[in-house]
Amino acid sequence: MSVLSTPRSAVRLASKGTPLREHVFRIALLSSLVIALGFLLMLLIYVLEEGWPRIDATLWENMPSIRRPETAGIQSGIIGTLWIIGLTALMALPTGVLAAIYLEEYADRTKWYNRVIELNISNLAAVPSIVYGILGLGIIARWLDFGFTVMTGAITISLLVLPIVIISAREAIRAVPPSIREGSLALGATQWQTIYRQVLPSAVPGIATGSILALSRAIGEAAPFLMLGAATLVRFNPEGVWSSFTVLPLQIYSFISQSREEFHILASAAIVVLLAILLLMNSVAIWLRNRYQKRW
Amino acid sequence: MQNVSVRGPEVPRNIEALDPVFTVSDLSVFYGAYEAVRGVDLTIGNREITAMIGPSGCGKSTVLRCFNRMNDLIPGARPAGKIFFHDEDLYGDHVDPIEVRRRIGMVFQKPNPFPKSIYDNIAYGPKVNGMKGKMDSIVEEALIKAALWDEVKDKLKQNALSLSGGQQQRLCIARAIAVKPEVILMDEPCSALDPIATTKIEDLMQELARDYTIVIVTHNMQQAARVSDRTAFFTAEVDDAGERHGRLVEFDETSRIFTNPSDKRTEDYITGRFG
Amino acid sequence: MAAQDQATAPGTSRSLARSRPRYGESVIKVVLMAAAMISVATTIGIVAALLEPTIEFFSEISFGEFFGSTTWGPLFNPAHFGVWPIIVATLEITLIAVVVAVPLGLAAAIYLSEYATPRVRKIFKPVLEVLAGVPTVVFGFFALAFVTPLLRDWFPFLDLEAKNALAAGLLVGVMIVPIVASLSEDSMAAVPNGLREGSYALGASKMLTSVRVVVPAAFSGIVAAVILAISRAIGETMIVAIAGGFKAVFTFNPTNEMSTMAAFIAQAGSGDASVGSIAYKTIFAVGSLLFIMTFVMNWFSARLVQKYREVYD
Repeated sequence: MSVLSTPRSAVRLASKGTPLREHVFRIALLSSLVIALGFLLMLLIYVLEEGWPRIDATLWENMPSIRRPETAGIQSGIIGTLWIIGLTALMALPTGVLAAIYLEEYADRTKWYNRVIELNISNLAAVPSIVYGILGLGIIARWLDFGFTVMTGAITISLLVLPIVIISAREAIRAVPPSIREGSLALGATQWQTIYRQVLPSAVPGIATGSILALSRAIGEAAPFLMLGAATLVRFNPEGVWSSFTVLPLQIYSFISQSREEFHILASAAIVVLLAILLLMNSVAIWLRNRYQKRW
Repeated sequence: MQNVSVRGPEVPRNIEALDPVFTVSDLSVFYGAYEAVRGVDLTIGNREITAMIGPSGCGKSTVLRCFNRMNDLIPGARPAGKIFFHDEDLYGDHVDPIEVRRRIGMVFQKPNPFPKSIYDNIAYGPKVNGMKGKMDSIVEEALIKAALWDEVKDKLKQNALSLSGGQQQRLCIARAIAVKPEVILMDEPCSALDPIATTKIEDLMQELARDYTIVIVTHNMQQAARVSDRTAFFTAEVDDAGERHGRLVEFDETSRIFTNPSDKRTEDYITGRFG
Repeated sequence: MAAQDQATAPGTSRSLARSRPRYGESVIKVVLMAAAMISVATTIGIVAALLEPTIEFFSEISFGEFFGSTTWGPLFNPAHFGVWPIIVATLEITLIAVVVAVPLGLAAAIYLSEYATPRVRKIFKPVLEVLAGVPTVVFGFFALAFVTPLLRDWFPFLDLEAKNALAAGLLVGVMIVPIVASLSEDSMAAVPNGLREGSYALGASKMLTSVRVVVPAAFSGIVAAVILAISRAIGETMIVAIAGGFKAVFTFNPTNEMSTMAAFIAQAGSGDASVGSIAYKTIFAVGSLLFIMTFVMNWFSARLVQKYREVYD
């Protein structure tokens, strides 16, 4: 802070040194941050250490098993997660981006229904994920009769991440300066031409960052799947969208629920795999954001 | 102030026989219930440069943005009164604002090139307008007309944001020209530029006035005096209810406005006693 | 009304009317709006999913029994439907979480917003995001397998059960630290620099400026962040299911195993209750209660955020 720097000429204004409590305060703040992140570090070290003996080929090659935790794998969970995430990306990302375009570029905020949509989205973003599980169970699995299938899981998770996708896509679209839109419209471009050819290309990095973070949230979700019959040790990979399934976080949950020590090692190994996937996605998102940040 | 050179009578133009492109009568512009501009009457002559000057908040930009219906984009903005483009009511029911903007180009205060190549910046307008013809020659022609070709012909694929501010603004002019408009509106086009870049744009305006009708909003009185054929002087007035409204005070040939204004307020403004 | 000024226009002279139809533009708008309406449909879906079984539940179990008694055991025989044990457990774990998360999160936010250099911020913020992205099932495992044994070693006098509210609440707290920190930091960043400079100009130190000027100015945003974090904690399922357990006892002692509302839903929903049974309907009744609680808090938090946005925009 230049305001606080000591003028050389005025001796009487010379600093008496920063008071002790300033230092203490600063250190207290920093240690809070370090404590919070220390949990993350301890957690990583713990699961790595616990799971290390089981991070091997059998983890990927084998199916989960109740009887032989020493050689049981997580293949069905990984494949199930890939199915769910693939379908979620197909459903939630386009829908979310389209909704974001509507809210940012078309919606007249003086209209009550647009305000209802906005308020509704921010509320949905904070609805507990277990409640989405109830939605999946009551409406999609039972009422629509989709059963406990990959499709039900994917639709449920799509609805869960949709508000996150919409909110982050809106931010990315809002970051495109209005002068770009004006420039395009003044040339006689239609509104959609302006959005499709100018606004969206400029917003793509931001939308991609938000989408990756939303999908990584979807990868880590377990609670809704509890409601959708994916809890048991599924010993086969899904064959299609109408197949039953499990996902990696839920497989971890079922390992944890077993009391034998081998299952905890197995769970740790599976957690390492899950965290590795998430860290990779996070890094890509952060890299994207830093690379394309603010070109104006 | 008195020794500014005024675009004089050597310009071979019959200024009396005004051939109107825009005819504005009793125009008011509202933002919601607030009347930003009140009761403007104005005619814009074909292939003339008309300057709109006045202190900030006098509504000159607001009026300019009515000419290509950019005001439509502001929620709650609503004009009253009439603007005719030739003999067509600009705000008539049948009129399509997008068609309007294809015919009436605009250049903004801050250069706003798209974050794309120089070539793509120019080609964008013709593309979205579905114009026929060879794109390379359309781009070249527009850049030549905007006096930018020699500077950029070797780097057409470069990002337009790498150009200097003045070059960016000429690129925006070239971009407007590329869709072959009839009118070019300029909203304080030089206010973000240094004096040298400003001179280049002013020269360019003179050049363009051979083929285009130009309306320019400017803060800079000397600029209006240097480039324009006619000048409209706006000011902001406070009415009995205490609300500020933009009003047109005087509209005349530029030489008359700057040497022998008929309104005291105009005289005060141009001699620097006000604003 | 066609333009006839053949002489004047350099291009062709044509009417300002639409030269070609543009049905596409209106179709697109309808498609976009439909996408936005899916979110409304989601809310309607949630309410619809909850409403009918909840009504059926209350036609069998009276409000009085549900809210008036303290024994919970819908999956047992004989079944009991006094909801208080799981409400108390939920609030208790939330309280522990808040006690952990608010000081840590707020301090982290002040540090990031007022003290950290841009470089430090650039390192810490992504790490905080990684923490926010850790799946809750992982936190649950950590609480059960690492934190609880550790607490038992350090504090043997607590007599901690293998599953307990303390470890679960602690990790729920860690989970919501990023929410408190990042939203509070946003609202502190929105405090205009003029306020800080005004304080420095009066000779105030950095600490004083942070505590007396920045935090009060950002207060409604911070409260909104805390409320949002609380509503996350209330609805958190995996951590409490794994580390807190499923035993519904009416107790305030956090060293005990206790089942929260979300944990009950998870337990009953993962297959222990058959469709149409009263136990199955209980899932939805508890779900409704949870939904209403979080909805009210979110709404309140959104209102506060809106308020502080208005002040400084």
